[in-house]
Amino acid sequence: MEVALKKLFTVMPLIFGIGFIAPLIAQTMAAWHWEAPLGLTRIAFGLTIGAAWGLYATLRGRWV
Amino acid sequence: MNDIRDLMLGGQTAPDALTREGPAIPLARPDRELDAHARKTLAQMEREIGLKYAAQNVSTWPYVAIALVCFAVFVATFPLAIMGVIPLWLGCAINSVFVAGGYVVSHEAMHSNLGREGTKARFWNELTGWIAAVPLILPFSMLKAMHLLHHQYTNDPIKDPDAIHAAPNVFMAVIKSWLNRQPGPIGTAARWRRHIGELGTPEAKAALKHTMAIQLVVLSFFFAMARSGYAIEVALLWWLPRHIGLSYIHAVLSWAPHQPHNGVGRYDSTAIIRHKLGHWGSLGIDFHLVHHLHPYIPVHACKAAYREMKPILEARGVDCSAH
Repeated sequence: MEVALKKLFTVMPLIFGIGFIAPLIAQTMAAWHWEAPLGLTRIAFGLTIGAAWGLYATLRGRWV
Repeated sequence: MNDIRDLMLGGQTAPDALTREGPAIPLARPDRELDAHARKTLAQMEREIGLKYAAQNVSTWPYVAIALVCFAVFVATFPLAIMGVIPLWLGCAINSVFVAGGYVVSHEAMHSNLGREGTKARFWNELTGWIAAVPLILPFSMLKAMHLLHHQYTNDPIKDPDAIHAAPNVFMAVIKSWLNRQPGPIGTAARWRRHIGELGTPEAKAALKHTMAIQLVVLSFFFAMARSGYAIEVALLWWLPRHIGLSYIHAVLSWAPHQPHNGVGRYDSTAIIRHKLGHWGSLGIDFHLVHHLHPYIPVHACKAAYREMKPILEARGVDCSAH
């Protein structure tokens, strides 16, 4: 259980990117009436950015 | 009680030495030049003043009341902002204050100032400590463990958890605060795990479990709210206030009174400062030395205790020129 939790926290930035940043991007775009580029839906665009950013933070240990 | 003037001046006449306008005691005089008898007597005098303002001798129930009210308002900002009763920016501002202020209130509980162990008030001490720390998304047990380590090893670059906030100026202190929040090995989380491992006590291990539990619960709340279409509300009512509050805590409450982070002695690990935000704006951090000397004095009583202790501190060679 403890090992599983530690592994979960290791990938938490990725989970945060998908679970929170992605919908935050999509809902912010909707609030400001912005359309997603490349014919994507807002949530697909948010997921692309959120997952990529979260993966970067997981691998690099920092968000920027 | 000995006459402070005899102790400091060796019996020499200096009628204006202790007046506010007078030249006071030479600040360069280090306390190690005092003989053992003088140091012991000064310590006794200092302790007598400390005990006069100790938590059991001053009113501390307002901390409990503030914690309960602020926690209720913090929770209420979510439905109120979602329903449009209050604007999001107002909720963001209020909750930012609660994050920073919550730490200060929780801090009193860390030192058991709201109820000693074995007393009836202990329940309120623990309750206050836990609920005041909720906006920070950190458990009281972890904050207490790290804060007591900070008191034990103040400014030790390896052993003091707060030494991670050392920075050359306040701007860099804010930047450092943000960098320390990164998830990698240089961040606060990794450092706290090391400290917990070194402590190795059941309480420390429990604190680590509490930290994981509260973060999982709060992140689940974040995800659920985002899934329900309230990501912006959660971001502005909790995520952003937490980061604003943490920046304040680190730059104002941790960095300012301890910079330049090189003193490790009882009288030079922190200082009496005049903060640009003022006494209230800095939540009483200007008398932080009094807190480190006597942690059982609640923060609101440190100013009055300092007024009485000032001649003693000056005799010790402490720079009291700020107040």
